[in-house]
Amino acid sequence: MNALKSEWLKLVSVRTTWALLVAMILIEGLTAGLVTGLSDVDDLRTRDVATLANGTKLAIVFMFTLGALLSTNEFRHGTANSTFVVTPKRERVIAAKLVVGLVVGIAGALLYIAVNAGLGLSILSSRGVDVDADTAVDTYLGVGIGLVLGCLFGVALGALLRNQILTVVTGMVLFLLAGTAALFIGNDVGQYFPGESLLALNGTPGADDVLLSQTEGGLVLGAYCVVLGALGMVLTRQREIS
Amino acid sequence: MAEIAVQRLTKRYGETLAVDDLSFTVDAGRVTGFLGPNGSGKSTTLRALLGLIRPTSGTALVMGRPFHELEKPVEAVGAALDAHDVHPGRSGRGHLRTIAAAAGIPNSRVDEVLDMVELTPARDRRVKGYSMGMRQRLALGAALLGDPKILMLDEPANGLDPQGMRWLRDILVALAAEGRAVLISSHVLSEVEQTVDSVVVIGAGRLVMQGSLADLVKGDRRPILVRSPQADELRALLVQAGASVGPDGRPDAMIVHRSSLETVGTLAAEHGIAIFELTHERATLEDRFLELTGESGNVR
Ligand SMILES: Nc1ncnc2c1ncn2[C@@H]1O[C@H](COP(=O)(O)OP(=O)(O)OP(=O)(O)O)[C@@H](O)[C@H]1O
Ligand SMILES: [Mg+2]
Repeated sequence: MNALKSEWLKLVSVRTTWALLVAMILIEGLTAGLVTGLSDVDDLRTRDVATLANGTKLAIVFMFTLGALLSTNEFRHGTANSTFVVTPKRERVIAAKLVVGLVVGIAGALLYIAVNAGLGLSILSSRGVDVDADTAVDTYLGVGIGLVLGCLFGVALGALLRNQILTVVTGMVLFLLAGTAALFIGNDVGQYFPGESLLALNGTPGADDVLLSQTEGGLVLGAYCVVLGALGMVLTRQREIS
Repeated sequence: MAEIAVQRLTKRYGETLAVDDLSFTVDAGRVTGFLGPNGSGKSTTLRALLGLIRPTSGTALVMGRPFHELEKPVEAVGAALDAHDVHPGRSGRGHLRTIAAAAGIPNSRVDEVLDMVELTPARDRRVKGYSMGMRQRLALGAALLGDPKILMLDEPANGLDPQGMRWLRDILVALAAEGRAVLISSHVLSEVEQTVDSVVVIGAGRLVMQGSLADLVKGDRRPILVRSPQADELRALLVQAGASVGPDGRPDAMIVHRSSLETVGTLAAEHGIAIFELTHERATLEDRFLELTGESGNVR
């Protein structure tokens, strides 16, 4: 419980946290507004509601980074020393970081959905485009869970790699590049990559044949978080802090 | 039981023996200086004591136990390893609060400690704008949060101005007087000379000596300057006693090697020889420290 409170304080006491959240919302609001407001109405009608979840790939970058900072700031700024002296049971620290990552991930996801749905859906309805409620719920659920898992992925990968830049770059490659390349060359393995699992989870339209189903995508991404998180805890226990 | 007991501690990093079969103890109620040149293994030893690194062999015990077996680590040990170990975007107060929260210490104690280290006026400013001295104060504050029985401070005087140095000395001496064990490392003896009661000197990861400041002086082999109106008589006696005596340039003075202040003084008294001046040629204890650690080399 103490570790949890400490990790929460660490998160909210630096400006970067707020800057990342605000930036995510601004960019998200902008994309949602532009896509729904400026696209051709006929074009919008023929497209799926998931078009709405447009800024997702960008939003995941912000949430992932937020999670990654939670772990790697300790090593970037040397606070790992006092952290692990005060809490020698190091796995508790990582567990607390994962819980805090989950909470801020949920908060970020809710903000994202509020902005995207509030702005995008109202612009669509004002332009006379009907949106199927079931599809909308599925999409936002997928996108929301994707953002939460993205944040957790960042915490876990950060605990594993420790180096801040290495973690963020690795995350970008995994989410934005790796699987995409594999899919292009028709590799079945590609669909299990974090980036592709995320796309599946988001319900990316027209990709059913190359991607996993939405549920499968979520489970695969969740499994990554569990495995990386557990590995992060074990390694943090064993490794030296120097 | 010693508060800190390092027993045959060895830590190897690849080819480098950072700490080499090192043993020493630190007792409560005194300030112990942990001295050695750059790269001699001071920080490595402290990290081993704090459970941050694993010894290659040997043990590093705090209150008789490995650090991770302590019931309440914050109440046992307060540590400050590096004054730079702070997130620059956090305020001094915010930084201490994260540590206090982890240790289950109330925020009121944070403000108390900020007061003790005289950072209250700056407590809400971001650490980014703190001077080195302020960071040292903050690091000390963090170490004091749990009101610990043992303090381990790595180079706490680094970056302090003379007033800051005096302030640190007063606070450390007071903490030791309350019955705490205080261990402070330094690579310059003069920095802590007036603060410490005893010293542990290491060089190249190995123990050079452990004892009181007086012990450090006792083995002193620095050349001695003697001035006497009966210089020739005294010179003969000293040579007879095994010392080697060289000229100083002045007819009534000489430089004595392989002897001690005590030996020269006693010898003169026994033969009724008057002494005008009797002192180490180089006046500071620092030279003695350099002499002790000099052979062990620095950067490895
Ligand atoms: N993590 C590490 N990996 C490799 N070598 C290390 C590591 N930590 C310390 N060393 C080596 O161990 C030796 C002792 O280093 P240490 O930092 O303990 O010295 P120190 O006495 O604290 O020096 P200083 O006065 O400069 O702080 C050095 O040669 C250093 O290069
Ligand atoms: Mg050091």
